[in-house]
Amino acid sequence: MTSTEIAAVRPARTPRRSGPRSTLTRSSGLGLGIAMIWFSALVLIPLAAVVVTAVDGGWDVFWSTVTNGQTAAAIRLTVLTAVGVTAVNVVMGPLIAWVLVRDRFWGKSVLEVMIDIPFALPTVVAGLVLLSLYGQDSPLGVDVANTRMAVFLAFLFVTLPFVVRMVQPVLEELDRDVEEAAASLGASRFTTFRRIVLPSLAPAIAAGAALSFARGVSEYGSLVLLSGNLPFKTEVTSVRILSSIENDNVPAAAAVATVLLAISLAVIVLLDVIQRRVAARG
Amino acid sequence: MADTLVHAVPDPAPVEEHRRAPRVRRTPTTYVLRFVATAYLFLLVAWPVSLVVVNTFDDGFGSIGSLLADPDMVVALQLSAYVAVWSVVINTLFGVGISLLLVRYEFPGKRLLNALLDIPLSVSPIVVGLALVLVYGGRNGWFGPTLAGWGFQVIFSTPGIIMATTFVALPLMIREIVPVLEEVGIEQEQAAESLGASAAQRFWRITLPSIKWGIVYGVVLTLARSLGEFGAVKVVSGNVLGQTRTATLAVEEKYLNFDPQGAYATAFLLAMVSVACIVVVAIIRPKNHA
Amino acid sequence: MSIEVTGLNKKFGDFVALDDVNVTIPTGQLTALLGPSGGGKSTLLRIIAGLEKSDTGTVTIEGVDATDLPAQKRNVGFVFQHYAVFKHMTVAKNVAFGLEIRKRPKDEIEHRVQELLKLVHLSQFSHRLPSQLSGGQRQRMALARALAVEPSVLLLDEPFGALDAKVRKELRDWLRRLHDDVHVTTVFVTHDQEEALEVADEIVVINEGRVEQVGTPDQLYDEPANDFVMSFLGEVTHFGGVSLRPHDIELETSPKLAGSVEGTVHRLVRIGFEVRLTVLTVDGDEVAVVVTRAHARALQLREGSTVWLTPAAGATVVPRMAAAV
Repeated sequence: MTSTEIAAVRPARTPRRSGPRSTLTRSSGLGLGIAMIWFSALVLIPLAAVVVTAVDGGWDVFWSTVTNGQTAAAIRLTVLTAVGVTAVNVVMGPLIAWVLVRDRFWGKSVLEVMIDIPFALPTVVAGLVLLSLYGQDSPLGVDVANTRMAVFLAFLFVTLPFVVRMVQPVLEELDRDVEEAAASLGASRFTTFRRIVLPSLAPAIAAGAALSFARGVSEYGSLVLLSGNLPFKTEVTSVRILSSIENDNVPAAAAVATVLLAISLAVIVLLDVIQRRVAARG
Repeated sequence: MADTLVHAVPDPAPVEEHRRAPRVRRTPTTYVLRFVATAYLFLLVAWPVSLVVVNTFDDGFGSIGSLLADPDMVVALQLSAYVAVWSVVINTLFGVGISLLLVRYEFPGKRLLNALLDIPLSVSPIVVGLALVLVYGGRNGWFGPTLAGWGFQVIFSTPGIIMATTFVALPLMIREIVPVLEEVGIEQEQAAESLGASAAQRFWRITLPSIKWGIVYGVVLTLARSLGEFGAVKVVSGNVLGQTRTATLAVEEKYLNFDPQGAYATAFLLAMVSVACIVVVAIIRPKNHA
Repeated sequence: MSIEVTGLNKKFGDFVALDDVNVTIPTGQLTALLGPSGGGKSTLLRIIAGLEKSDTGTVTIEGVDATDLPAQKRNVGFVFQHYAVFKHMTVAKNVAFGLEIRKRPKDEIEHRVQELLKLVHLSQFSHRLPSQLSGGQRQRMALARALAVEPSVLLLDEPFGALDAKVRKELRDWLRRLHDDVHVTTVFVTHDQEEALEVADEIVVINEGRVEQVGTPDQLYDEPANDFVMSFLGEVTHFGGVSLRPHDIELETSPKLAGSVEGTVHRLVRIGFEVRLTVLTVDGDEVAVVVTRAHARALQLREGSTVWLTPAAGATVVPRMAAAV
């Protein structure tokens, strides 16, 4: 009896359960309503208020605020440093993840915990922590406090976990048979890595890089003690916004904040696209 | 019943396919990579963090002692703890609810909401503070004056600090629970339903125990993030000594006021809590929920 | 009549899962819903259980209109293909779940759980977690869990689909014997015609959202309503404009019987005691024929032999549909 084969020949259409149609029940709809009210009150309306305040004075005012010398310098420093830090993370993140997943040695679990420390540590404490090794009283004799190097270092510290933690689970799931198959087909270890492993890790690296860039651009707490906030030199965008707030120049603060928001939104959109791409790949 | 299945007793047959032990091929590259990773983490994390500990105990337990003897500092620590607890409670309720809605239901705008929920991850804390001031500021905010008219002050007061903290920690719980809910699937709940369990019974007896570890991890992350929030709180709190100054604000204050010892001690306390959170979770979390 | 389904329609988006389905399932019987994957049988079962809502139509269980009743009030036992065990509860707790929901006294629950675990041969595992059981054991536990609440009907959705062939066959025999003992009205979904023919009292064949035929295994095999049912329940070949079973064709080396058709043996394969032939007839049909090895030897058949084919007297024959597979 082979009639089960017949079943296989027919197109096995699985019922599609997703669609634009709502499957909310009355109580879940009510729950969604309450959640949306809270989310709007806490996040959406306040962020909208930033944009509204920024464009209130018109496009010209917005543009002149954002391109004002000191502000522009702050934005340039922030973005360029974040790009540089992200580049380092793109190299170091997968490397560390690789060591954590594929290598075995005594003390590995300590490294594992270290990855999470920058994430859990209060940012102001992070600044203080870096200051203790790279500040005035540095036992290494390297004093980078109040320099651009300090900004770079602070970003590097707070963004450490993102790429590592995105890549690690993907690397763990990676089917080693595929690598062995590549090797059996004559590929060198480097070729296997470049042609087989790297493409699988690419979405995770990209997502981690996006998060680490966004985090860098928006960083504030770790810099207050470390960078000295010198205008035109080590002042980052967040600090610039804060000083506008403290000088009661709210429109200017909102204008610069809108630039940061735009960057955040771009990252969110990028993340969403990456996630869908990965989901589609299965 | 002469049953063949009775013989099937001794088979332990756990279904999870045994994960092959990683084969480590040690080549010079392996050691180079290991060295680079370890050195990087040592210089960036381990050494600086350990120095804070060393600096704190420069003069024994004196600095910690004098810290806890300072009534303003005790108030600051209490405020930090109070705010963190509120943030954890709110974000847990919201996070569990919204995760269930996102995973179990279809509705228009779901994809947009899903993306928007990640915003707090990438928004500058200063922008968060500014945004809240613009809406809830007592003088010029959109809703602030109305709320003040009802005698409810948000900005420069504890509710504002709680909102700012809750904002920045909002996605953490959701990001922990959603993957767990997706993995658990809906069949256990349906099985419970066919056995007569009501919606509430299904939630408490099936869903909640299944996502327990996701929630625990989410709580720990939210707690660490909330205790440590600095920028957003700085904007909304007014930083009034003994009233709206949190522990993180005190670290900055002390350092700038030439009291590095006090700053290190406070930082040490905060770092202790954070690191303790991570270590506890790393230990108690079951391996298969990695 | 235990379950009555009338005028059921169900769409998922544009996909029609069920198209005006009417079925009556008799009390105390073991009924199989048989059909290819994606044909709508699981959807029908889930609608009966209340886990899915139909677009139109009614479901009556034991004379009660259950159409708008939520699953938790239908008192049906449901067994899932992938077991749907409660992972955080022990085996005993899993089985006790429905009884605890119904707030039965503690000692009664304990007694009933022991009884059921004995029935499914899992007594010694009562304190284990499901992750420590094999697939077959988990499915027996799931069955005990469903039976614990004394459901008016027991519904099984591809219950053995995730198990390997040997365990599958054991559980199938065991389910049949269990049903003979317990006599609860049971409906199970399967795409395996052998499973349905072996276990079920009655089979409902479902394809592309429609009921193709309802009957006992013998009825379906001997009197299939159409080409689809016939081909789904066994091997089929096409000869002279009709579909019939390969072993229902008489084969001779000379035109002895009236109406026989001449052909040439194109391929000959011996499988154990039978010989399978592919015959190309002068009418242009490619016909599969099965004969016994003794018969083939007696006729000295080999590839290239000229033969005459006739449908056997009393053979099951249905007109061939153009669209049939």
